[in-house]
Amino acid sequence: MIEENSIKFKGTRHGLSIHINSAYDFDTIKQDLINKLEKSNLFFKGAKIYEIKSNKLTDVQRKELEKIMTEKYNMHVINSEKKKKDTKAENQIFQGIVEGKTKFITGTLRSGQKIDYDGNVVILGDVNPGAQIIARGNIIVMGSLRGIAHAGSNGNTKACVAAFHLDPTQLRIADIIARAPDGDYDRPTGPEIARLKDNMLYIEPYTNKK
Amino acid sequence: MGEVIVITSGKGGVGKTTTTANLGTALSQLGYKVVVVDADIGLRNLDVVMGLENRIVYDLVDIVEGVCRLNQGLIKDKRYDGLYLLPAAQTKDKNAINPKQMLKLTSELKEMFDYVLVDCPAGIEQGFKNAIAGADRAIVITTPEISAVRDADRIIGILEASDLANPLLVINRIRVDMVKRGDMMDIDDIIDILAIDLLGVVPDDESIVISTNKGEPAAADKNSLAGQAYRNIARRIKGEEVPFVDMDTSESFMTKLKKVFGLAK
Repeated sequence: MIEENSIKFKGTRHGLSIHINSAYDFDTIKQDLINKLEKSNLFFKGAKIYEIKSNKLTDVQRKELEKIMTEKYNMHVINSEKKKKDTKAENQIFQGIVEGKTKFITGTLRSGQKIDYDGNVVILGDVNPGAQIIARGNIIVMGSLRGIAHAGSNGNTKACVAAFHLDPTQLRIADIIARAPDGDYDRPTGPEIARLKDNMLYIEPYTNKK
Repeated sequence: MGEVIVITSGKGGVGKTTTTANLGTALSQLGYKVVVVDADIGLRNLDVVMGLENRIVYDLVDIVEGVCRLNQGLIKDKRYDGLYLLPAAQTKDKNAINPKQMLKLTSELKEMFDYVLVDCPAGIEQGFKNAIAGADRAIVITTPEISAVRDADRIIGILEASDLANPLLVINRIRVDMVKRGDMMDIDDIIDILAIDLLGVVPDDESIVISTNKGEPAAADKNSLAGQAYRNIARRIKGEEVPFVDMDTSESFMTKLKKVFGLAK
């Protein structure tokens, strides 16, 4: 039986990660890699290799493995510089909710339309049911919000959603989802803002209307 | 040079074909040369509603494929002067023509008629895309039901993105008694969501069912409330300002009493 236990492929958000069991010697490792790739080379064609995890591989050995993968099997190995930049850019939770880039949209957002922006979003109009706004920052609707709004989409729990008439089908901040109560409920009477407090979504008016 | 108006809705069964037939009839009665075009290939209905089913020899697909000339496909309605029908094919489907062919056809029709009314099929796929190619204006039909309004909103979004800005709204099959009880959406609620100009409101009327089965559009019937609404819409299309009809036909005793004493209008 061919032992292929020295190599394990794991899938991550950034690409494939190869875990190498350093208990085996390099030649076994190399052979196992070739065997595995040979068995399913169509599957691995064009695959993105994000990293090679091993305690004992030297740089030369690492380069040799990378060479096999790119030349023989048409895989892409992401080099470490680009890797660091990508991780940094992607993982950085958008912080500009007090001062940050904002997109302004005029007009009504209709059913089926979707906005996905990595910043704050201001809609000068209504958001109809069936429409979706996804923003890494805050979402401000200067009209009626009746669709789906997802603020802080990449993790900012301090982002907020505000509207003149806050009546969405679903409200999401970071990874918390909330919806209106079933059946008849009191419709909002004035401008309201939704925020996360202790992982629960709270909606309250933000103008001092007496 | 005429105008091409597409009558669409998104949702099926809200009254596109009925509206096309009745508006066509009403406009022809006002003296205009009108052609109603059925773009619902495969599920054609406009010919049935107009009562011209058994006069079809050639259809839209035949004309586009060059099997016959445009004039051979047009059916002249003998009851109403100036009204013509261009029927769809029943044995093909919506992939039988493409938007470019539709554009060419409607451009030719524009030269011959004052109004070209295109009856759009339900949905947002090929049939819809064909029907809106070549349209100058759009009329969106909806009923006062939440599902129809959702779909109308989607359609309006697509129309606005396809350069058919400012579609006009027709609210069909409204039941005033249900609106009063709060069981049905009222006109203001619908306009609040859809945010386009209102062209007309048509009440739910039994005469529509009867007229459809007979193949005689209700717009020609003096006694039909829906027919009256369609006649008003036709006048608004040509630019006339027509006040919206008060569809409340029932009166309370007190109102009647007040009228006697001149305390109510």
